[in-house]
Amino acid sequence: MVRTRGLTKRFGATLAVDHLDLEVAPGSVFGFLGPNGAGKTTTIRLLLGLQSPTEGTAEIFGLDCTRARDQIHRHVGYLPGDFVAYPELTGAQYLAFLAALRGGVSPGAVEGLVDRFDLDVTRRLGTLSRGNRQKVGLVQAFMHEPEVLVLDEPTSGLDPLMQQRFRELVASVRDRGATVLLSSHVLSEVEEIADTVGILRSGRLVVVEQLDLLKEHARRHVEITFTGAVPTEQLRRVTGVQELVVAGRTARLVVAGSMDVLFRVAGAAGVENVVATEASLEEILLGYYSEPS
Amino acid sequence: MKLSSIFAKTIFDQRRSFLGWSLGLGVLVIVMAAMWPSVRDMPGLDNFVRNYPAALRKLFNLKTFRTGTGYFNTELFSLMIPALFLVFGIGHGARLIAGEEEDRTLDVLLSTGCSRRRVMVEKAAAFVVVVFGLGLVLVAVTLGMAWVLGMGMTVGDVVRGGLAMVALGVEFGLVAFAVSAARGRRGVAIAVSTALAIAGYVLYVLGQLIHGVERWRGISPFVQALDHGPIGPSWSVGPAVMIGCGLLAFAISVPLFERRDIGN
Repeated sequence: MVRTRGLTKRFGATLAVDHLDLEVAPGSVFGFLGPNGAGKTTTIRLLLGLQSPTEGTAEIFGLDCTRARDQIHRHVGYLPGDFVAYPELTGAQYLAFLAALRGGVSPGAVEGLVDRFDLDVTRRLGTLSRGNRQKVGLVQAFMHEPEVLVLDEPTSGLDPLMQQRFRELVASVRDRGATVLLSSHVLSEVEEIADTVGILRSGRLVVVEQLDLLKEHARRHVEITFTGAVPTEQLRRVTGVQELVVAGRTARLVVAGSMDVLFRVAGAAGVENVVATEASLEEILLGYYSEPS
Repeated sequence: MKLSSIFAKTIFDQRRSFLGWSLGLGVLVIVMAAMWPSVRDMPGLDNFVRNYPAALRKLFNLKTFRTGTGYFNTELFSLMIPALFLVFGIGHGARLIAGEEEDRTLDVLLSTGCSRRRVMVEKAAAFVVVVFGLGLVLVAVTLGMAWVLGMGMTVGDVVRGGLAMVALGVEFGLVAFAVSAARGRRGVAIAVSTALAIAGYVLYVLGQLIHGVERWRGISPFVQALDHGPIGPSWSVGPAVMIGCGLLAFAISVPLFERRDIGN
């Protein structure tokens, strides 16, 4: 549905996107992760045809994102990062204006989204808080019920309740078959809704993986308190143990992958207590970042 | 108010500015016209004008200063109103694409399925309509004052004068619009079009004063706009040429806007 091949964008000497090969399956939610400056926004702008690639191609619905951008836009919902709307218009005027340009937007769809986000559309956009402006941005991206949504930092500025409503909305459009690509540097928002995650580093896609698999390969923090002495040597030999610190009868470990062998070794020595912390995506990301490029 | 097209939105955006400019322009014409009876009746006016340097007499067409038409041409339509139409045209023309791009509202507009060409055409059309609207205000107030004070101008005379001012605003406004669309920077658009306007005016002035430059002066938009009055009895192709040049600049910029990166 969304596909890039060797997509590259240079700004002078700066390589913003570096031979990116990306594929987002139809009806899935793709989380596009990376810190600020990694090239997420540039990739998104290339997908929208707002910028042209220096090399490579970007396609949506099998159509070239630069040459067929107007055709693509009719079926794509786009929320730019740092969304800005006309400050002198009310929310209702702005949404009606965009709906008139798009054509075929059902008033019911707009009303439903406005209700979902608890948005006051009678106020001028210039008087709205950052979060409320972001809601207007989300409504305009979803209102024509597009087949593909490209959302750059969609939950930025939203309070936790609205973030939850946004996640529900994404889940519902995915259920009706839409494809969603959303970028974030706030990893927790992607964790809950994405099927697949791509991590971008300095313009290059470091990894693309199913979220479950990503977590499976992820590192975990494990704290084991033994009934007797810590079997330090045996623990150190267990595959996947990356760090080991022993304090009294407690061993603190960082483990990658399956913990099956670890627990068998620990169980044989007598375990009093175990605390395991699931790796956050931040740690996964840091893991990728700490690897040499 | 429901905004159902980019054209309507562009007109809507300029409504306050249009009202302000109309008011300012109207007051200016009324005040200057109100002074005409006392200028006309000034004893020794002809001697006063005769003592002006020959170049200035020629540049501002001072020999007809005592007539209503001559007075308006010299006091308003030779420098002040052309300058106002240039400022209005360049300021608004530069803002239409580059202003939206700098404000970052253009991204969503360009992702609604409207082609970049359509965005440009609707915005440019709205801009031209607004400049013509301002010209209409100028013509209406000028005619009103000419009628009240018996300044001896026909509707045709004043319409020709107004059209020349509109043509200046449209030509340089479309040049500013074209540069803003091609480059995405309001400052660059204002700088380029203002520099061209100044060059055109300098050519107009030098063409009056220096023999060798005279044959080139026809290419100056100010010659095309002002040489026949601009308020006066004869039609000229000047305004049509000027608007044509503006449209040419616009046409050249369309493919440049279609091809370039937005928001760099």
